[in-house]
Amino acid sequence: MAVLVDLTKCIGCESCSVACKLWNKLPYGKEKSRRQKEKDLNDDNWTVIQEKHVEGENGKAYTRFVKKQCLHCLEPSCASACFSKALRVDPDTHAVVYVPELCVGCRYCMIACPFEIPRYQWDEPLPLVTKCEFCVGRLKDGDAPACVSACPTGALVYGERDALIARAHEIIAANPHYVDYVYGEKELGGTQWLYISDQPFEKLGFKMGLEEIPPSTYTHAYLSKVPFLAAAWGLFLAGMSYYHHRRAKNEKKPPEKKEEGDGRI
Amino acid sequence: MKIKLPQMYRCYRILGWDFTITPARVVLLLLVAFMGCVALTRLLTGFRYITNLTDETPWGLWISFDVLCGVALAGGGYSTALLVGGFKYQKYGVVARSALLTSLLGYLLVMAGLFLDIGLWPHFWRPFVSWGYTSVLFEVFWCISIYTTILTLEFHEVITERMFKFLHPYVLKALPFLVIIGLIFPMMHQSSLGGLFLIAKSKMFPLWWSPLLPLYFLISSFFVGSAMVCVESDLARRNYAHRIDPHIMLQLTRVGGRIMLVYLALKLIDVTRQGQWGLVFQGSMQSNLYLLEMVGGILVPLFIIFSPLAHRKYGVLVYSWLVVAGVVLNRMNCVFTAMYKSGDYFPSPFEFAVSIGLVSIGCLAYGIIVENFNVLGSRRVTQHHILQKTDLL
Amino acid sequence: MAQNISRRDFLKLASGTSLFGLGVLASGCASEEKQSGGDGWMPDQYHGRGDFPAQLKGRVAIAPDNAAIVRDDEKCILCGQCIEACQKVMSVHGYYPLPIKDETACIGCGQCTLWCPTGAITERPAVEEVEAALADDEKYVVVQTAPATKVSLGEEFGLAPGAIVSAQQVAALRALGFDAVFDTCTGADITIMEEASEALMRLTKKQAELPHFTSCCPGWVKFCEYFYPDLMEHLSTCKSPAAMLGATVKSYYAEKQGIAPENIVTVSIMPCTAKKFEAQREELGVDGRVDVDYVLTTRELARLIKRRGIDFSALSPSGYDSVLGESSGAGRIFAATGGVTEAAVRSLYYFATKQQPPADLLSWQAVRGLTSIKEAAASVPGVGTVHVAVVSGMAAARHVLDEVRRTGRSRWQFIEFMACPGGCLGGGGQPKSEFPADEAVRRKRMEALYAEDKGAPRRMSHENGEVQALYREFYGAPLSARAEKFLHTHFEDRSGRLFDRETQSQA
Repeated sequence: MAVLVDLTKCIGCESCSVACKLWNKLPYGKEKSRRQKEKDLNDDNWTVIQEKHVEGENGKAYTRFVKKQCLHCLEPSCASACFSKALRVDPDTHAVVYVPELCVGCRYCMIACPFEIPRYQWDEPLPLVTKCEFCVGRLKDGDAPACVSACPTGALVYGERDALIARAHEIIAANPHYVDYVYGEKELGGTQWLYISDQPFEKLGFKMGLEEIPPSTYTHAYLSKVPFLAAAWGLFLAGMSYYHHRRAKNEKKPPEKKEEGDGRI
Repeated sequence: MKIKLPQMYRCYRILGWDFTITPARVVLLLLVAFMGCVALTRLLTGFRYITNLTDETPWGLWISFDVLCGVALAGGGYSTALLVGGFKYQKYGVVARSALLTSLLGYLLVMAGLFLDIGLWPHFWRPFVSWGYTSVLFEVFWCISIYTTILTLEFHEVITERMFKFLHPYVLKALPFLVIIGLIFPMMHQSSLGGLFLIAKSKMFPLWWSPLLPLYFLISSFFVGSAMVCVESDLARRNYAHRIDPHIMLQLTRVGGRIMLVYLALKLIDVTRQGQWGLVFQGSMQSNLYLLEMVGGILVPLFIIFSPLAHRKYGVLVYSWLVVAGVVLNRMNCVFTAMYKSGDYFPSPFEFAVSIGLVSIGCLAYGIIVENFNVLGSRRVTQHHILQKTDLL
Repeated sequence: MAQNISRRDFLKLASGTSLFGLGVLASGCASEEKQSGGDGWMPDQYHGRGDFPAQLKGRVAIAPDNAAIVRDDEKCILCGQCIEACQKVMSVHGYYPLPIKDETACIGCGQCTLWCPTGAITERPAVEEVEAALADDEKYVVVQTAPATKVSLGEEFGLAPGAIVSAQQVAALRALGFDAVFDTCTGADITIMEEASEALMRLTKKQAELPHFTSCCPGWVKFCEYFYPDLMEHLSTCKSPAAMLGATVKSYYAEKQGIAPENIVTVSIMPCTAKKFEAQREELGVDGRVDVDYVLTTRELARLIKRRGIDFSALSPSGYDSVLGESSGAGRIFAATGGVTEAAVRSLYYFATKQQPPADLLSWQAVRGLTSIKEAAASVPGVGTVHVAVVSGMAAARHVLDEVRRTGRSRWQFIEFMACPGGCLGGGGQPKSEFPADEAVRRKRMEALYAEDKGAPRRMSHENGEVQALYREFYGAPLSARAEKFLHTHFEDRSGRLFDRETQSQA
């Protein structure tokens, strides 16, 4: 499943972020030891609306509201990086979810995430990683994610990814003011949250120029070689060891002496 | 005529174990005690008060120095073991035991550092049962766990000479297997520590990211291993008059030096192939640190070790220190410089306290173990001059 | 002994250890695997796939720097009532094409504060600033009370809707430590002096500017600036009564009392949140001095009184201070929809004919009542028949404005617009009632206002003795150069902040 965010339709009411707080029972306005320069994701804010002031090509000032949350990659780096399967892809909904029970707190997911989404409970004694869970419980009940269901202007649309991509391209084709780009369609193997906009994405804080292959490709290429290399290396070492063992024995003992078992295995 | 009196120390013998107290050790003990308090606070209160980590910089000093540098510097154990155990260069055997001990201590401290750095420390065992096998960290975790176990078992060759003597034959029997396994796992995780950063490609400054990262980490851990052995022997020589033939040290480091040449060649090819020469000389903070790392940590040491300078009194030692510093810088760069954003993170004094405290534990443990077990040469050693031995208990 | 271990023993030991280890690993596998989140709730309307139409969904956008209203997200339950008010009553939300340009649309009317069931949306509080000014001995703090507050403040103290509490309100304000208590009705009388003169001039000389739109409601003015900038020329250039009174206090009154104007702090007690925005308009000031420094809503005043522990019902009634405290009946009915029209036409009649208007114009039923659009006509000798329209609620206003826009000249010459349904008495800063749009309460307040008018010794603004003195001593005559400077303003096309035709796709 997927969500299409039409940034031109967002009026900045923040119904989505309040819905997220309501549904996930997240606290409001807690004083944080880690200060942020602008309103941004943190362990209590799984989604935020960021106000971006951009200068259009015509030199006029525009305000755009950008919803920020986990993009739910099709090939999530965080899940690939998690060494205890605390971050994983939910098989039914394909949401990228976090199981606190399994988390060790290594924060490798935060290093791995190309969009810098996972946040940490820096002020908790036993901190957890936090991020948007795509309201996976609601999805399983057939409901839209909380934020989508609360959006009063239709800026957020929930549906099948392929259908939404087609719809996004239709909207762009029908309207010349849109940037001809669907953010998330190809980024790093594709994301389930897709964005269309009438202002250039790079001006709205989107990371551009990302590859079309998921970052986990690189780790996979490396890890898939490891067992063979390790086995080969082990065999080589064992061979060397056996060779030296035999040679040492041969040097030490005259050949006519009866051999021990290892020679005959 | 005045005779300069040698430094005198007091040595306590408790239940047959020697504990020498020197002023330096008192300082180390204090550092360790402070670290203990900090560590306890950290485990009870989380990261808030003890660290300056933020969402922007989730990995800080502990991961970069305690873990990445710790593992690389502890590579001396396996590189020596490879030469001695794998290729039977018996002449390097004189340093094998001390290299093994440093590695063991290094790895134990890495694990301690890791334990402090993971947020949910009561869950540290989860990856043993919940296998995130797609993660490079999973490989690192298992390899380090197994390798530390292997190192501990290997070190039982030394321990069982004095304690639990009945186990000694078992250990001897197992040793060839242990050595082989103990040569597989470090190769795997040294490289996979580099592999950790493969996934962060889009976030890293391109000079530090390469598909060859695992190989770079492996190779650099190998040559820093021999350099580290050299540094350790020098320290041991100062404290214990345990002298190793300088010629052997030179040869050992030159083995490292040759590997370093390979590293340099790979790096040069890599930068050329990816067309990054512009980045190297762009004059930014990142490129300058890259240059510092490559010139100070690779080119200058290479020049020293393969020139007549190597035969000077401090030639090998300067080489070794430069290499060690270069690798430390490389690991720091991978974590901080390559992923530099706003520069808001600077380690807090407490973070430094823990890192320093961990190193102090290593120094203390090393001293106590070599004074009680046969690690350096053929017998237990003592600090040069013991004022008085006091038997307690 | 070392050589006595057989390979078999060794293998046994090794394999035994491994098996034990595997067992330990397997035993740890059973663990709870619930993902985080989803522990809270959502109102019922949010269950479903999200793409079905819903009656109430989401909430209005309120910019963090909104001068009129603020919202506490923590109290918001996404009930959707604010959208109901903003869209259906005020026709603001959903009435501008997307994408927005660079401003979050809000006319500041504050109807959403009345509808919000959890108190998440409130006026932007100014109580602390006012208290600080009161505590400052250097400052001479002048307060004025809007006519609508006199018939509603009592509700905050358990009195029935429509209870007239102007005398207690004055007493309470004195107890709070205000240095002078004036009546915005006096300002309303000044407004009528200016606006009736202006309307008369348009009717007789500048007919191109007809129809004449009233401009005393700040919510309506901003609405016009946002959505009908092409009709802004019809707006009366008169400031609102509160601003006129403020400007007069900082000039005429200051001079009369010998107080340095910069030491005067003007506070207004208003039934309105949009007044808070109005007070911040740069053009509403004279010589760099703002007309009104702080605006408190009726609700805020009640809170202030309660916080100070003043027993409202036990206060002995008190009267407004002189110089700017006298009000005519015309000034008092400003708070009801139709009131401005009635007051203006009374004086207009006099200005045009120099005769008192007939009795039916002193009780002009056609412009009274809570109907959102009312039409009437008054015949003024020498001017002809003046067709008036009275509109309250901006959703209703759109019908009239679209008509004006379509026909160019409309069938009305004088149109009164009030943003809030029922006029100021139903303002966004008024005490909350059982239902957000409780017509019964509004009716009670309205009846009280007309009773006040009826009982007034003088029924028409130009009869107000203090106002007459003011013109004699200070302004000279309506629309004089000095009156233009202190009592008139200009408007700003704000549509460019909401719309940008270049990027907008669909209307």
